[in-house]
Amino acid sequence: MNEQERITRIRVHYTKGHSLRFTGHLDLQRLWERLLRRSGLPVRYSQGFHPRARLNLASALPLGFISDSELLDFWMDSPLPLEEVQARLAGAALPGLKILSVEAVPLSEDSLQSRMQSSEYQVSFFDPQDLDKLHQKVRDLLETEQIIRQRRKKTYDLRPLILALEAEGHGEADQGLRMRLLAEPGATGRPDEVLDEMGFGSSQVLVRRTHLFLQQDSSRQQ
Amino acid sequence: MPDQTSETLSRKIERLLPTVVKPGRYVGGELNQVVKPWESVRTHVALVFPDIYDLGQSNLGLALLYDILNQHDDIAAERAFSPWVDMEEALRTTGVPLFSLESKRPLHEFEILGISLPYETVYTNFLNILDLSQVPLFSQDRGAEHPLVVAGGQAVFNPEPVAPFVDAFVIGEGEQALLDVVDAYQAWQAASGNRPALLAQLAAIPGVYVPSLYAVDYHPDGTVQQIEPIHPNASLPVTKRILPELPPPLSRFLVPNVEVVQERVSVEIMRGCTRGCRFCHAGMVNRPIRERPLDEILEALRLGLDRTGYEEVSLLSLSSSDYSQIIPLIEGLRALLCQRQVDISLPSLRIESFSDALMDELQSLSPGGGFTLAPEAGTERLRNVINKPISDADLMDTVRSIFQHGWNSIKLYFMIGHPQETLEDVQAIAGLCRAALLEGRRIVGGRARIHAGISTFIPKPHTPFQWVPFDRLESIQEKIDLLHEGLHGAKIKMTWNRPEASLLEAWLSRGDRRLADVVYHAWRNGARFDAWSEHFNIDCWRQAFEQAQLDPDFYSLRPRNLDEILPWEHIDAGVRKTFLLRDYQWSLEGKIRPDCRGDCYGCGILADFQELRLAAPNGGWKCP
Repeated sequence: MNEQERITRIRVHYTKGHSLRFTGHLDLQRLWERLLRRSGLPVRYSQGFHPRARLNLASALPLGFISDSELLDFWMDSPLPLEEVQARLAGAALPGLKILSVEAVPLSEDSLQSRMQSSEYQVSFFDPQDLDKLHQKVRDLLETEQIIRQRRKKTYDLRPLILALEAEGHGEADQGLRMRLLAEPGATGRPDEVLDEMGFGSSQVLVRRTHLFLQQDSSRQQ
Repeated sequence: MPDQTSETLSRKIERLLPTVVKPGRYVGGELNQVVKPWESVRTHVALVFPDIYDLGQSNLGLALLYDILNQHDDIAAERAFSPWVDMEEALRTTGVPLFSLESKRPLHEFEILGISLPYETVYTNFLNILDLSQVPLFSQDRGAEHPLVVAGGQAVFNPEPVAPFVDAFVIGEGEQALLDVVDAYQAWQAASGNRPALLAQLAAIPGVYVPSLYAVDYHPDGTVQQIEPIHPNASLPVTKRILPELPPPLSRFLVPNVEVVQERVSVEIMRGCTRGCRFCHAGMVNRPIRERPLDEILEALRLGLDRTGYEEVSLLSLSSSDYSQIIPLIEGLRALLCQRQVDISLPSLRIESFSDALMDELQSLSPGGGFTLAPEAGTERLRNVINKPISDADLMDTVRSIFQHGWNSIKLYFMIGHPQETLEDVQAIAGLCRAALLEGRRIVGGRARIHAGISTFIPKPHTPFQWVPFDRLESIQEKIDLLHEGLHGAKIKMTWNRPEASLLEAWLSRGDRRLADVVYHAWRNGARFDAWSEHFNIDCWRQAFEQAQLDPDFYSLRPRNLDEILPWEHIDAGVRKTFLLRDYQWSLEGKIRPDCRGDCYGCGILADFQELRLAAPNGGWKCP
C-alpha cells in the first residue's frame, strides 16, 4: 500500500456529559485534539509550523447541553484494528466523554456536517411542572403556522424546523419534553429557541441530545 | 447529612451557571482532577487562588501543592478561584456561598483554606473570597468552627498588609511546610484544643508566621518602633522555609475543559538565581540556587505530555540560560519532541549567558516566532546601578545574532523609575530600541519587529533597593511621554503599565500592619480585581487611605532611613539586612556585584541553611 492508501478515516460515537456541559464547540475540538495525542494513535496532522489534527465534528452542541450521542471523524496515517482504536481512545478519554463505538468510514464519504439531517433532544425540568399545561403548550405551539423569531439579528421561522415535539411524564414528577429538530446546514433548530417560545429559560431546564440523524451519503447508495 | 446539603448546593449552582459568562470556570471535572469522597478523608484543604480560574488554573505553585496534598490518603485538596463579577453578583443575590470545584462544597466547610498570594494586587480578591465563603474576615473573629486561613506565596515575604486577615503564613517554599501545617492541625484536632492552642502549635513550625502572636509598636512619626513576639512559640525572626533538594517535578497536570491563559506542561528547571539584580525581589527571596537533574526534567516533560496531550512545554526558572546543562537539556527536548507536534517556550534567557551554540539549538526547536530580552535599563551606567551589567555592544551582538538565526521579532523589556535614573537614561531606551530595529531591518528587512515593554520599578522588600522611594506619578508619566516621543515614527510597538497600578503595588508591597485597614476599606469601597485594568480604581484606594487616616505618600514616596526598623524586618528571607545595605551602597557607587556562582559574597543563605545543604549532598546547590 502507498501512503495515500493507508490513510484511514475513523468515526467515533461518544457522549458529552455533565462536566463538559459548559465546554463550547471550539474548546471541545481542543479537548479532542489532546485526547487524540494522549491515545498515541497515528493521527493525521496538517502541515506547517503549528500542525493540528484533522477533525470533523458533526454538529455543535449548544453550551449547557449534554449529549448521549455525538459523532466525530478523524483520520489516521495507517490502519489499525478497530478494537485497538476504540481501546486507545477509551484509555485517553476524559471525565464526561465516553467512547461508545468506532467505525471505519470510506475516505470519499461526505463530511459529517453536510450529512446532518436532524437532532433529537430530551428536556427535563428542574422544578415540577403541571403536565396538562405542558401538553397544552405543546399543542398550542404545534398548531401555530409560523413562529417568527429573531436570532443574532436574523429573522426566521422556527415552526418548520420543529419535526416533532411532545410532552412526557408521569404525574407530579419526571415531566419533560421530547423534540426532534431539523439540523440541516443553514436550517438548524435550537431547543433553547423552542423552550423560550414556550416560556422556559435556560436555568429551568437540562437539555440532553439523544440522537443525531444523518442523511444518506451522496457518494454511495445504501 | 452533609451530603444532602452539598446536593442542594449543587442544584442551586446548576441554576446559576447558565446566567453567567463562561460558566465552565466553575464546574471543575477536568482530566486529572482528584476527587475524594468527602467522608473518607480527615482533613479538607481548599487551595484558593484569588483571581479567576482562567488565570489561577495555570499557576504552577497551586498545581504543585494540589498534587502533594492529594498524595496523602487522609487529606483532600480541592480548588477554588475568584468568581468573576457576574458570578459574584449571582452568588450574593441567591445567598449561595463560594464553593470548591471538586465537591461543590462551601469553602466554610473546609478545615483549612490555603490562600495563594503570588502578588499584592490580589489582596482585595482574597478578602472578597472570605466574605463570599461566609468566613469572618479578621482572624480574631474566627473560632474553632471556622476554617484555618493559611496564606503563602511570593507576596508574603512582607505579610503585614494582610496580617490581620490571616491565621498563619507559610514564608518561603510551601511543599513541606503546608504538610507540617496539616499535621499540626490534625494533632490539635485530636486533642480537641481551642483556637489559640492551634495558632500556638502552628507558630512552632519552622517558616510559619502567626501574626497574632506578635505585637508591633510605632514611633510618633509612623515608623516601626519594635516588632515583638508575645508567645514563647513565636520566633524572631521567622526564617523562611526552603527545600534542601527539589523533589521530582510535577508531571500530573489538570487539563482544563475551557480555555485558560496557559495550557502547557510547565517544568521548573531550577529555583533561585545568582545574578543579584538589585531590583529583583524573586532573585533575592528565592535563594539559594538549586538545579534539577536533567533526566528528571526530561522525564517529567515526557510524562506530562503523555498525561495531558498538551501541545506546548515550558521550562521555568528565573534565568533559564544559566542552567548549567542548558544545551544538553535542549538536545534532550528535541529528541523528546521530534515525534510529537509540540511547541516549546523558554522564558528568561539572559543576554550575557547566550551563546551561539544555544541560539543554534533554540533555532532548531522553535523556528519563527518572537524572542524576549530584558536589558531593564537604557544605559550602561544605570545597568551597573541595578547590577544588570550588560554593555550596549553585547546587547546589540545578541540582537544581531537573534535576527541572523531567523527570528523576526524581539521584545525588549525595560523598567523606568529606577533609583538614580535621569531623563537621559530613559531617552536611551528609545535609542536602543531604534538601534535594534535598524539592526533587524539590515538582516531580515521589513519583517523586523521590535516591541518595547515598559514597566515601572517598585522598590521591593528584601532587596538592596528596599530603602529607596517609588518614583512620583508625574515623573513616571513624563518618562512614558518621553518614550512615546522617542519612539514616534519608528514603528516600534510600546506597551506600558498604568502608573497608578504600579503605585498601588508600591503601597501594598511596602506597607506595615496598619495598611491592612486600607486594604479592608478599599475592599468595602468596591475594589476588586485590582490587577485588571478594567476594574482597577485608584479612587477606592485613595478614599480608603482617608478612612484609615493614613498618608499614602508615607508608604510610597518616603525614602526609608537606613537605621529604621522596616515593617518586614521580622521575616528572614535568608538574605541579611547588612548584605542588602552594602549592596545598596555599592549601587550608589555604581559598583557591580558579579554572579555569585563563582564567588560567595556571604548574602546569608549559606549561614542560615548550611546544615540543610550538608544533609542533601545531591540537592543541586550551585553556591560555591
